[in-house]
Amino acid sequence: MTLNPSYAWVRQFAALAVLLIVWEAAGYAGMLNPLYMPTPSAIGRALADLFGSGSIWTHLEATFGAALGGLVLGIVVGVILGVLAALIPVIAELLEPVMTLLNAIPRVILAPLFVIWLGIGLASKVALSFILVAVLIFFTVFTGIRQVDRRLVERIITLGGNRWALVRHVYLPAVTAWVLGSLKVAIGFAFTGACVGEFVAASRGLGYLLSFAQSTYNSALMMALVFLIMVVVLLIFAISGRLEKWLLRWN
Amino acid sequence: MRVRDLSISYGAEPVLEGASLEVGAGQFVSLVGPSGSGKSSLLRAVIGLQKPLAGTVDTEVAPNEIGILFQDDALLPWRTARDNVALGLGFHGMERQAALVEADAWLARLGLAGFEHRFPRHLSGGQRKRVALAQVLAMRPKLLLMDEPFASLDAIVRARIIQDVVALVEKERINVLLVTHDLEEALGLSDVVYLLSQGPRARVTQSYQVPIPRPRDIVQARLHPAFAPLYEKLWSDLSREVSREAAEAA
Repeated sequence: MTLNPSYAWVRQFAALAVLLIVWEAAGYAGMLNPLYMPTPSAIGRALADLFGSGSIWTHLEATFGAALGGLVLGIVVGVILGVLAALIPVIAELLEPVMTLLNAIPRVILAPLFVIWLGIGLASKVALSFILVAVLIFFTVFTGIRQVDRRLVERIITLGGNRWALVRHVYLPAVTAWVLGSLKVAIGFAFTGACVGEFVAASRGLGYLLSFAQSTYNSALMMALVFLIMVVVLLIFAISGRLEKWLLRWN
Repeated sequence: MRVRDLSISYGAEPVLEGASLEVGAGQFVSLVGPSGSGKSSLLRAVIGLQKPLAGTVDTEVAPNEIGILFQDDALLPWRTARDNVALGLGFHGMERQAALVEADAWLARLGLAGFEHRFPRHLSGGQRKRVALAQVLAMRPKLLLMDEPFASLDAIVRARIIQDVVALVEKERINVLLVTHDLEEALGLSDVVYLLSQGPRARVTQSYQVPIPRPRDIVQARLHPAFAPLYEKLWSDLSREVSREAAEAA
């Protein structure tokens, strides 16, 4: 049997529907303990409650704020440090070991430290998101610039371009392409940072709600939140995909 | 332009040793030689991308009056054809709008009217070569260096571009130094052809005056009575260089 690839989504959708129906049926038949494994309809109700009461918005706002703040700061700082390190050897000498170290450890372990330093408010979550994203972007840019096509560099020089012309016409566009290439990973990291930070200590946010759901053994709420975070991230992926397509239209 | 006793080495590897040549006013000069003999290195030294170990390069023009065309087009992939052509003009202080107008005019002269807003990826190899040419010629160079610029093109595209280049450099009176391994191309285009010996330690061993009148048609040039004997001589001299190296290696 040959599969028509243009109907892949139909098959995927059907498989998901079957899974949900079996799951729901198993729950009704008493085969699943609702304490551990709530049915899809229970998860749906939890989700509806969150939006119905309007209580979700403040949490969404907190998580979004922290993730986007960390993402933007992380990209800006990561790009600047990456460019500087790639162009100025002494900066590379100083930065590379630090970044390598930060890259080697699971950076979320810094979350408690950030809470002590910056308090349980927004700042500690932005900081965690930031450190996750900045290290990733730093290496993307740093290794990327060192692989810039020599011929383009020579072309600019022989046309009379100076160092700034090189940065503007060769390095920055190349960097943009690499940053966009790792943007999806960076977005994932940014939300990881925000949620983990909230999970550790917070008064608002999806991560805080998750930790609350955990402490009250509310697994329906937990799964609803996991689902919600997935939807949010996919939404941002879609937006960044458009941005990528426009910025890389030359490709 | 004059190159005297130029020596270049990469690390401990001597590429050129005591190479000399000259490009007179209004001349089209070619440099031929076995591959790996350092032809490209000589060009890179002339434009300042390669620091010579010894010898002098006297270009007799300002650095910004030298243009170079590489084997690959090296266009910025993220800039449209016109932006690529306007690039060098902008570096020399031309205001952006004026540079773009000038760029469009050069693209039109090279037969690319209507392609101004294409990105390099959406142009054919021959079209990209024309954009690269426009980019260099827009700078109004007095000396144009070319490093096997037509090697990657197929025969018909290549013949047409070469004919356009010849017409343009004759009209603008640009001095040209062309590096090529194609003897027909060298003789058909040039007033003088220099032969570089087999490297390492390559140097210029012969020069050949090509008495074919200008303006030239590159197809007609091949039918000129001086062409065949020169070609034969150049060919046998080059063969001797290559076999000398084979004998030395044995």
